[in-house]
Order: sequence, then C-alpha cells, then structure tokens
Amino acid sequence: MQAVATLTRPVNRPEISPAAEFELLFRTHGERMKSIAYNHLGSVSEAEDAVQETFLKIHRASDTYNGESSFSTWAYRILINTCYDILRKRRRRGDEESIDANPIERTASTVDDAKRIMLRRLLESLPEQRRTVFTLFEIDGLSHAEIAETLGITEANSKWILFSTKKQLQEQWRKSQ
Amino acid sequence: MTITCERIDDLLFEGDAASLELAETHARGCLACREKLDDWNDISRTAKSMQTTWPSDTLWPRIQRAIANETRSRAPMILRVAAALAVTIGLAGILAYALHLHHEKQKAFDQAILRVTALDEVERAEKAHLIAINNLEKLAAPKLEEPQTPILVSYKEKLMLLDDAIAECQTNIDHNRQNAQVRKQLLSMYSEKQRTLQDVLREGNHVSNP
Repeated sequence: MQAVATLTRPVNRPEISPAAEFELLFRTHGERMKSIAYNHLGSVSEAEDAVQETFLKIHRASDTYNGESSFSTWAYRILINTCYDILRKRRRRGDEESIDANPIERTASTVDDAKRIMLRRLLESLPEQRRTVFTLFEIDGLSHAEIAETLGITEANSKWILFSTKKQLQEQWRKSQ
Repeated sequence: MTITCERIDDLLFEGDAASLELAETHARGCLACREKLDDWNDISRTAKSMQTTWPSDTLWPRIQRAIANETRSRAPMILRVAAALAVTIGLAGILAYALHLHHEKQKAFDQAILRVTALDEVERAEKAHLIAINNLEKLAAPKLEEPQTPILVSYKEKLMLLDDAIAECQTNIDHNRQNAQVRKQLLSMYSEKQRTLQDVLREGNHVSNP
C-alpha cells in the first residue's frame, strides 16, 4: 500500500500510516459506497464485490489521482463504472436483475416493501445515466454538484435528468398503484 | 405569491425546499396538482427508504487481503520483467557479436575473392602476352639466329637479357603467386619483349627490302 499516501490527500495525516489511512477511507466512504453499489446491482454479494474491486482499482490508480476532484466523487465514479461493468456482463450472460432477499437494514421504515419493490422495478427499466442520477440524488443523498463531478456532467444537466426521470417515473407510478 | 398549475413543473424542477413549499401551498387548493405532488413526494419518500446498510465485518479484511495479494504479485512481476530485460539485453549482445563476426568473415571472404579474381585477370594477360611473344619469336627466329646488322645484334642481346629477367621473375612468382609487384614487373617485361620482337621484325624487313 505504498502509494496510498499520495492518493489520500483529503485525509492526509502525517501521524497515521498509509495502510491505516486507506482503512480510514473505507470507514469514511465504505457505507455509502455499499449503498450506491447495492442500489445499482440489487445484490449484497455483488455490491460487496463491486466495493472491493473499486478499492483495488483505487489502489492501482493511486498515482493518477491528481486531487482536482474530491476523493469521494473520484471513488464514486470508479464504483459506478464498476457497477456498469457488472450489469453489462450480467446482460451478456442473459441474467435477470436480481433483488436480494438478504436482510437489509432500512434507514426509514415508514414505507412499505411493495412500494420499494415497485420503484426498484421501475428503476431497472431506466437507462444507466438516468438511473444513476436518480439513485445518487434521491436514495444516497448526493447533491447535484457532487453528481455532476462524479458523472462528468454539469449541475444543470444533473437537475434536468433528475426532473425528467421523476416525471417519467410519476406516470408509471400512478399506473402501477 | 399566486402559483398557477403551469408553474408547478418549474417548481418541481428547481426542487429546493422553498420551491417545494410553494408547490405544496398551491396543491392545497388544486386537486389535479395535489395528486401530482403526492406521487412526486411518494417516489422521493420511497427512494429515501431504499438507502441500505448491512453489517459487513468481513469486507474490509477481504479488501486488505486482495490489496496485499496484488502488492505481493506485483513485486515478482517487477523481478520477472527485470530478468526478461537482462536476458533480452544479453541475447541482443550475443546477436550483435555474431553479426560482427559474420560481417568480418564475409569481408575477408570478399577480399580473398577479389584477390583471386585479380590474379586470374593478370594470369590471363600474361598468357595472352606469351601467345603473342611465341608467334613473334617464330617469325623473328631466322633473323636472330644470324643477325645481319649491328642493331639486330643488340636486339638479340636485349632479348637474351629480357629472357633471363623473365625467368627470374617466374621463379619468384612460383614462390609467391600473389606478389603483385613481381607480377607487374613480369607483365612489363613481356610487353618490352613483345615490342622488341616487333622491332626485330620491322628491322629485318627493312634490311631485306633494299
């Protein structure tokens, strides 16, 4: 883990070792990364695989991190691309999108499972970018600025994609009820 | 501020708290917009409830192991690359030396061929001279056996000296076929003998004609 020190400028603290610094990054961003991966893949095991693969990629590419974007958006970008790769492989194999039956702790419990399953089904039918913008903003709580930096689009574009995606979902939502 | 139904979408597009509050205010008195806004908020509420978390105590140790394995496999890879580089450089050196040797051999062979070719040409010239000289000697022999004039006597002496010198050269050439200097001398002596015999023949004709 020799190159971690150059990668982790946002948390660069001289008193901790590079390995510990890398672990700190996982402790700081890991939970949200797991959630983003799960909401793209619908499977706990695949989400964990995606997070692991992302940290390996971060470790390999640590020399190329120039500090221009924040570490979190850089890491999310790698994670989302990893999720896209897994989804494409899955589509090539002809596998259906999986919704994991594993027990998941929900941050809010006022919404019933039927609605969550319906929304997840509707999200599966969306194009990759629309699904990602919606997921990052509505589920994982990223701002339009963070989404724009992560996906390499403008903030206005992020706002527009979210609005048009929600309009599309709104029509299907009513029909499905 | 009065909000019309047409402006609801603009407010939803903005999406900030103030805009959504204005939309809510309008929806309280508008059934169509109420339904629209309820669905809108329902989707957002459902989405927020999908934020997921689960205990995964084994994930970080897994990541650590994967990184450690990759770091370990990267080190032998560097060694393998260095070894391959060293072998390549060694092979390139051997190949360059072999090419150099081959080049030198080829050069020596080419020079030998050139020498042989040049010698063959010289020997062909010598043979041509000898044939010409033999023919001239046959023609000049009657006049040289008993020379009638002082000049023919001196030609006969000159020819005898030339024959001695030619014999000496040929002895030297028998010892060293590639001695260019002696070969050159022999050729010039053959030329001189040829010219002298031609002079003898001319002198003889000159004598007999009057």
